[in-house]
Amino acid sequence: MKFSPALQHLVDALRCLPGVGPKSAQRMTLHLLERDRDGARALALALNEAAARIRHCSACRNFTELDICEICSDERRDSATVCVVETPADVLAIEQSGGYRGLYFVLMGHLSPIDGIGPAEIGLETFYQRVIDEGIREVILATNPTVEGEATAYYLIDMLQPHGVGLSRIAHGVPLGGELEYVDGSTLAHALSGRRRVE
Amino acid sequence: MRVNLQPSYILHTRPYRDSSVVLEIFTAQHGRLAVVVRGVRRKSRGGSSGALLQPFNPLLLSFSGRAEMKNLNAVEAAAPAIALRGERLFSGLYINELLIRLLHRHDACPQLFARYGQTLQVLSGQAAVDATLRRFELTLLHELGYHLELRVDGHSGELIRPDGWYRFQPGAGLVACCDEARAPHTAGFAGADLLAMAGGEFGGALSLTARRLLRQALAVHLGEAPLRSRDLFGAGRAAVARGEPAPQAAPAAQSVSATGAKP
Repeated sequence: MKFSPALQHLVDALRCLPGVGPKSAQRMTLHLLERDRDGARALALALNEAAARIRHCSACRNFTELDICEICSDERRDSATVCVVETPADVLAIEQSGGYRGLYFVLMGHLSPIDGIGPAEIGLETFYQRVIDEGIREVILATNPTVEGEATAYYLIDMLQPHGVGLSRIAHGVPLGGELEYVDGSTLAHALSGRRRVE
Repeated sequence: MRVNLQPSYILHTRPYRDSSVVLEIFTAQHGRLAVVVRGVRRKSRGGSSGALLQPFNPLLLSFSGRAEMKNLNAVEAAAPAIALRGERLFSGLYINELLIRLLHRHDACPQLFARYGQTLQVLSGQAAVDATLRRFELTLLHELGYHLELRVDGHSGELIRPDGWYRFQPGAGLVACCDEARAPHTAGFAGADLLAMAGGEFGGALSLTARRLLRQALAVHLGEAPLRSRDLFGAGRAAVARGEPAPQAAPAAQSVSATGAKP
């Protein structure tokens, strides 16, 4: 049996989502049409609006409908400190921790020459200009502790160090509530080499 | 096919599905392969293998499967992790990009595998890296079947003369320049330099010449697309800061800049 063209079109469109194969797409389609037409209409509207209106904040590159996002335009935040992260999800994670009051810069990725992602693709040129123009005093490098994240951090350090900007890298080590016995060797080595004197 | 505890290095990882990753690995006996690791990015499934599954770590991997892409069954550390810092990390990314671009899948290169391990050891230390990178590139060309002969003229078959001038010609190797008086100005190579390189000498005054020669020799096989990891080094970085495209497409003869450890 073949689906009608409009139905098949919806199945194909849903497959653009990560992790959605033909079978899942078919299940979603049938569910939306049979049990949740209102949900389907709301989804269509939301998708349409998001695709049309959401763009990148001109200061931090995070997603926003405004020219400057809410975090960047918040007067109460410390505008001399910028935290560099890889994805919008990282911003959310740091915001939820509640311990940071500075601004962000979202790279939307990391340096990965093998995937063809160089400094220009992750907006390092924009960031360089911003640091120089706005007199930013401290840059916190919160890229992931992977090889690509480290490469990105080193690249930023090399780019910004000559300009006298304070640079720091977030600490890597044993998670809270974790047990040393079960922490892997390289994390433990990092934790030891980055140990802190007790005041 | 089932392979147990194969000495391997990870060249590249990319996310796959919700919580899995696809690894591009370089193994001692099976060459370059792709393996999928399921659930490794999921915190609750525990596994500290995420930290282990990073490029440059010497690993023992067990994998199986009949399809092109294998499944990873087990991973163990073969030696303490190799930590590369700063420019040396970029050099590491550079050799990984070379292997991914040039090495064919399932083509075993034990000699190159050993050289790769030695190269990483040097990169993780303090010693100068230029000569090591050049030796790696020569071994890579040799294992690909394009051995770069530094002692013999590719056209005449005669030995290279220390006082002669030569140029690199794709497909033939090093050939004598017809116009010897102009050779030093037209990106030629001095015979004495070539013989020194054949003797394993790549450092000091030879490092720029050796880099230029190997760049030309590799460019033939790399084709049109530039190596992106070269953007990360000195000259490319300055260009990004100025808002210009990186000087990547510059012809090999012009790209001899005097910046540090750029490969």
